[in-house]
Amino acid sequence: MATCTHRWQMAHVRFGLIAFEKCFHCGLVRTYFSAEDGLPLGEEYREDDHFWSRVETAQSFRFDLQCSLCGQVEEFSELMGLMHCTACMEDCPVEQQRRALERERTWLVVAFGFLPQALQRPLSERKLAILTDYFNQRRDVTRSRIKVVPFTLIPDLSRCGGEFLHDVGMLSQEPPGERKPLFS
Amino acid sequence: MTTKDLMERLELRPMSTFEHREVKGVIISDMVSDVMASARQGDLWLTVQTHKSIVPAANLVDVAAVVVTSGKEVPQETIDLASKFGIPILWTSMSTFALAGKLHDLGLRST
Ligand SMILES: [Zn+2]
Ligand SMILES: [Zn+2]
Ligand SMILES: [Zn+2]
Repeated sequence: MATCTHRWQMAHVRFGLIAFEKCFHCGLVRTYFSAEDGLPLGEEYREDDHFWSRVETAQSFRFDLQCSLCGQVEEFSELMGLMHCTACMEDCPVEQQRRALERERTWLVVAFGFLPQALQRPLSERKLAILTDYFNQRRDVTRSRIKVVPFTLIPDLSRCGGEFLHDVGMLSQEPPGERKPLFS
Repeated sequence: MTTKDLMERLELRPMSTFEHREVKGVIISDMVSDVMASARQGDLWLTVQTHKSIVPAANLVDVAAVVVTSGKEVPQETIDLASKFGIPILWTSMSTFALAGKLHDLGLRST
């Protein structure tokens, strides 16, 4: 068995767009990544029984992690993005953990998978631990730490007003408004 | 070099509340995803972005400070969030280009 204490680095970085689509027939939400530029919003199309409409896109990126010591690659193809908890729901387990961790100067980020598949198969605990290691390895941990938690802790996605750490509405000259939940 | 040195030499105005940090390099980007992929711990992040999303991103990659350039007004909610994380948000009326030149003259490089 390998005994490497892995030093993670980002590898295979791909920039592109995350799209959020909703079926206005059944309410199903799906998310996917596209390397294509300029996916228009609002476009509707039918696929099987669903009537998809693109409700949001955001510039984002995907990556894998590679150990600079042993070369091991961990793929993060199922990671859609990281979200900052905005304490939107008092009773949300994410918010409760966030508050507890804040006291020990640990900042929480939520790892999202691609919907709807990720509801059945979220990122494994092992991969969340690798992500946590990666972010802590690249920071000054005497000041503060990062902990990555799964989005499946959020009891009701349709109420969550968390902020994704990607470029949505960033180039707008308008002052940012209150973000509406993406999954409602 | 520290954020304190840079503020004094380049008249960068503090917007949030924070403890001074060591500055090791510079990253210039107006894209959060780019910064998350490329920034190094201790970088000074030069941007015209003022959206509050810059704060958790800056925190995640542990930059030394965010410098909002070109005199862009920083919303109060961005400042409040930065203060909560102890992230320095500095402000200058200089353009990103002009500031980058001065940082270069001071010996700072992209990492
Ligand atoms: Zn290794
Ligand atoms: Zn449907
Ligand atoms: Zn939330």
